[in-house]
Amino acid sequence: MSARDADGTVRRERAGAAGIARRAVLAVLGLVWLFPTYLIVANAVRPADDYDPSDAVKPPSSMGLFDNVSAAWDRTGVGGTLLSTLAYSVVSPALAVLLGALAGYAIVVLRLRHGFAWFVVIFAGTVVPFQMLLVPLFVGYSKVSLYDDHVGLVLVYTAISVPLAALVMRNFFGSVAVSIFEAARLDGASTFRIFWRIYLPLSSAALAAVFILEFTYVWNDLLFGLTLSQSESVRPVWAELSALTTDVYAGTPVPIALAAGLVVSLPTVVLFLATQRLFTRGLTLAQL
Amino acid sequence: MSKGFALYGRFRHVYVSPALVFVAVLLYLPFLWTAYLSFTTYDGLASPVFTGLDNYRRLFEDDALLTSVRNTLLWVVGTVVLPVGLGLLVAVLSYDLRRGSWFRLPFLLPYAMSGAGLGVIWGFILQPDGMANQILTFLGMPGGDTAFLQDGPRNTFAMIVVWTWQQLGVNMLLFVVGLQSIPKAPIEAARIDGASGWRLFRHVIWPLMRPITTVVFGLALVAGLKNFDIVWVMTQGGPGRSSETLAVTMYRDVFVADEYGYGSAVAVLLTTVTGLASYVYLRRQAGREEAR
Repeated sequence: MSARDADGTVRRERAGAAGIARRAVLAVLGLVWLFPTYLIVANAVRPADDYDPSDAVKPPSSMGLFDNVSAAWDRTGVGGTLLSTLAYSVVSPALAVLLGALAGYAIVVLRLRHGFAWFVVIFAGTVVPFQMLLVPLFVGYSKVSLYDDHVGLVLVYTAISVPLAALVMRNFFGSVAVSIFEAARLDGASTFRIFWRIYLPLSSAALAAVFILEFTYVWNDLLFGLTLSQSESVRPVWAELSALTTDVYAGTPVPIALAAGLVVSLPTVVLFLATQRLFTRGLTLAQL
Repeated sequence: MSKGFALYGRFRHVYVSPALVFVAVLLYLPFLWTAYLSFTTYDGLASPVFTGLDNYRRLFEDDALLTSVRNTLLWVVGTVVLPVGLGLLVAVLSYDLRRGSWFRLPFLLPYAMSGAGLGVIWGFILQPDGMANQILTFLGMPGGDTAFLQDGPRNTFAMIVVWTWQQLGVNMLLFVVGLQSIPKAPIEAARIDGASGWRLFRHVIWPLMRPITTVVFGLALVAGLKNFDIVWVMTQGGPGRSSETLAVTMYRDVFVADEYGYGSAVAVLLTTVTGLASYVYLRRQAGREEAR
């Protein structure tokens, strides 16, 4: 009896020493990771005139973030791009989630014939590398005047978002009891009414997870924005801001560029940190 | 029940068709069109002229493309070793610690930033007279005059380090989820048998993590192969095409050089490599699964 106790104590002490070592390694690595974060924030906050690369580590003496942001707005077209970027990031994922849910509903609940094959057709869309789409979309969009058009970008963003939405919604609807559907049906509800009034509200958590994931994706897009738009009023924000590192905006003071990059990242940073659990679950779901 | 009543409704296909139309028109149709264009010479204005395998022959003689393939391989290896390897380390060290999530926070902050944002910010930090060099000088370390982004393959390495800074977080997060969901009983049993530390991890925990490692490594493989945003924003593939990846080469061939046919061939090459790598990887994973 006492031997077991002693054994247990020894083990616990060993775990304690190991625990300290683990914490130490994590803390050191964490500090290494925080250092660039600090550099970026400190120098985005620093007034542009005070910036000196050799003093970059020093904390800023005064608050210049808002001046830097407004200077970035004046120098680049960021301001004009934000509203359309927000529209893309809300409309396309919302549409994709709805279409994915409709497809999942038909395949799982309505037992569409060859449903699995149709599902594979929709989901396999995620495998296509975007480089395979650029030329035809660019040429095709120019022909039907969707190039440099809000609608054109909404359509592309929706199309690339649909497969994930279909996957998650198909998996989710599979876990809902069939008896709910049958009972409602025998009570005389139409299949669409059952979808709209029962299945869609039931799945709000899954819908939200997919929406957030895809919102982030569309907000952060660079490739389609560069390829399919050119005017400030259509171009998404990162396609516009990416020009900061090129000759177009040569001579932009560092704090102004950092401030712009930081502020435009803010919506996704906040969304991500606020919904970390949901996000991870969505990510895991997305890869299955 | 009357014979005319259809429990599942008569218009089931109507519910799938919008999703199908989107995917077919905007993903599959362009895909097939690009595959066709890869056998043509095309400048985007005149009609494409069928030239057979010419573009593919040219791929093998194109020095810029060889550099691009090398860089893409560096990205793949770099991605699998650094963000995934370090992400695993942080996850294993922190997953069962009390207040482990606080230790993980520093790694999560950069992940929420977009690839383009990362490029903009680090492009400024790594300028020849930028903060990185100034800090090296300040600390009295060698290399205070390093041209991080000017020569290949150093510029690729520098960008992989930046990428690691950003991507560690997501890999760590996925590993933590995987670690927290593995069964506790085998681990306890092994502990009672006296296993601990490295041996416990290597022989008990690691094999139990197989489902999540398959996902994370597969993801990293594909992300490494398709890398575009960071490179485009930080160097546009330059200077002198020295830091291009296949995705950047494709973009440049089409939208800078107006070689739509040749660019399509690069896209097909990228797709083939991605497909093959995923297939071989998944086959190997599946084979291991059966062997157990």
